[in-house]
Amino acid sequence: MRSGGTTRAALAALVVGVGLAGAVTPGAAQQRDSIPGVTLGLTYETATQPALALQPFTGRLGGAALAPQVEAIIGRDLRYSDRFTVMDSLPATLTGGGAGVDYRLWDGLGASWLVTGQVEGAGNEMVLVLELHNVVYSQIAERGRFFLPSPRSPDFRMAVHRVSDQIVEWATGDPGMAASRIAFSMLDSDGNKDIWLIDSDGENLSRVTDNNDISLSPTWHPSGEKIAYMTYVDGYQRIVERNLATGAQKELPSVRGGGYITPAYHPDGQTLAFSVSGGTRSGIFTYNIDRDCCLAQLSSGPGYDDLSPTFSPDGQWVAFNTNRFGSAVPQVMVMPAQGGSAQTLSPYSFGRGGYFSAPDWAPVGGLVAFHGAIRRGTYHILVADMKDGGRRLRQLTWEGNNEDPSWAPDGRHLVFVGERRWGFGLLVVDVVTGRTRTLLGSRQVNVPAWSPTLPASR
Amino acid sequence: MIVRRFIVPVLAATLVVGACKKDPPPPPAPPMVDQDSLRAYQDSVRRAQEAEAERQRQADMERQREAERLRAMAAVRATLEEAIYFDYDESQLRADAQDLLRRKVDILRASPQVQLRIEGHADERGSTEYNLALGNRRAESVRQFLTGFGLSAARFNITSYGEERPQVRASNESAWARNRRAEFAITAGANAINSPN
Repeated sequence: MRSGGTTRAALAALVVGVGLAGAVTPGAAQQRDSIPGVTLGLTYETATQPALALQPFTGRLGGAALAPQVEAIIGRDLRYSDRFTVMDSLPATLTGGGAGVDYRLWDGLGASWLVTGQVEGAGNEMVLVLELHNVVYSQIAERGRFFLPSPRSPDFRMAVHRVSDQIVEWATGDPGMAASRIAFSMLDSDGNKDIWLIDSDGENLSRVTDNNDISLSPTWHPSGEKIAYMTYVDGYQRIVERNLATGAQKELPSVRGGGYITPAYHPDGQTLAFSVSGGTRSGIFTYNIDRDCCLAQLSSGPGYDDLSPTFSPDGQWVAFNTNRFGSAVPQVMVMPAQGGSAQTLSPYSFGRGGYFSAPDWAPVGGLVAFHGAIRRGTYHILVADMKDGGRRLRQLTWEGNNEDPSWAPDGRHLVFVGERRWGFGLLVVDVVTGRTRTLLGSRQVNVPAWSPTLPASR
Repeated sequence: MIVRRFIVPVLAATLVVGACKKDPPPPPAPPMVDQDSLRAYQDSVRRAQEAEAERQRQADMERQREAERLRAMAAVRATLEEAIYFDYDESQLRADAQDLLRRKVDILRASPQVQLRIEGHADERGSTEYNLALGNRRAESVRQFLTGFGLSAARFNITSYGEERPQVRASNESAWARNRRAEFAITAGANAINSPN
């Protein structure tokens, strides 16, 4: 992954336990009990990030009232991108107040990038004219015109978030994650859990389902238009696909006995992988929910569970959770997307175990995140790099309990459930800088799933 | 007839008192008391009273028997629905769980119409999704145990609520021990539960 302009340097490399881990097959695991040289550690890149300034946005033809609001949303998005030192909300006395750009002023303030914006028009016809300036070269690097719906429209903020992602991509060449939502499960006072959504910046908390029951494990269709999740139908675990715009629902048929849990979309957008748990042939299956066909079994028990599948972005591999080495030592393994022999990704060492669970494969960048028990009883977010077969794990959390990580579309931010002294909440960590923020605090939340970049609604 | 016995002297006294006032009609002839029919009458009354008492006694016994039957049935049903508990992260059946399941087997054999849904549950430790699978595994090991006694697998459906429906909402060992369990819901034949004896 490129991270524009930063020099890569190891800020800290805390080696927690050399030889604790091993990426080995089950057979090999029985012959040796650790692989030397595997480390569990923390490597953050340099904290030096290019400074990006926002010149106060201006308005024309009735857009003036909206300009500060658009600027504030973009400023916060860029800060949450964790790629820049953001300078915004600057007083007009400092910036001169005009629409013109004084590169010497911004150079003097230490900015590498400058964003200027003008909101034109009013009502339902608004356009944001935006420029990204390279201050060092005193020139406009990129320019774009972005249509904005009415600020009363539910798509208004998402349209502004798409502009933020465009700025990130212009400046770094990497995808952003502002135009996205997080689906998750939340407990209500009646003991039921429904699926909810929240925007990547913590706004627009909204309920999706209203079942008098438990709904868990939401997963996003690659289009961002549908989710699938597990709920109960007549008391039995079933997987339901739901169109977020229309509310139309479709139940995945249950042809085999057992509970249908932990769905995940294949990048083709047609195939759902899931676990059939507790039946006569437990394991990971795939089913084409678009064409209603082609049930296939990728792995099978009996006597153990394979669950929580997650596809690699090229659709060739599946990472999943298994307890085939023993009931108290679940591990993360990787197998081909058609099934076949699996390799451990989490640092299993025979006879010593460890608890590793809830894998999620990053949409870009080749990382797989999961959580694990580092010391007995406390769980932390860990990231394995597929490039070295998971032999080097990075630990991203250091306090409380942390579970169920899910990748943002930029492949560098993770949302997860954190348990802190103040309670449970959804937290977001940047795997590059380690910076963590609270997305939604003091709620009984579970199993967050970060959406892909969301398209403009039609 | 019995009433007239007492009325006769009263009537006589009335006649004496009122004799001087006007001309009384001639007194009726005193009734003849038949000792045999009196005895027969008294016997029949006694028999009727005894029969009524017996009927009451029978009804009471019937009521008691019914209450006992219901109590026994409730106890049988409670045994059938009683939860079993598991050790941490285990789906193996503990000895106490096996004892209880054997008592359920006896009831299920005597009650062939009864069907059960077995619900596995987990404590809050471990991941949400892993615990869903763990609950299923617990329910499945209960089903395996029951069908191992020759009971038809078709009588049991399994499901899991993972850590989502705790018996005790607290984070300590005694709460966790109560939450690692399998529950039993009667899905058919609830009115056809028979005691094994």
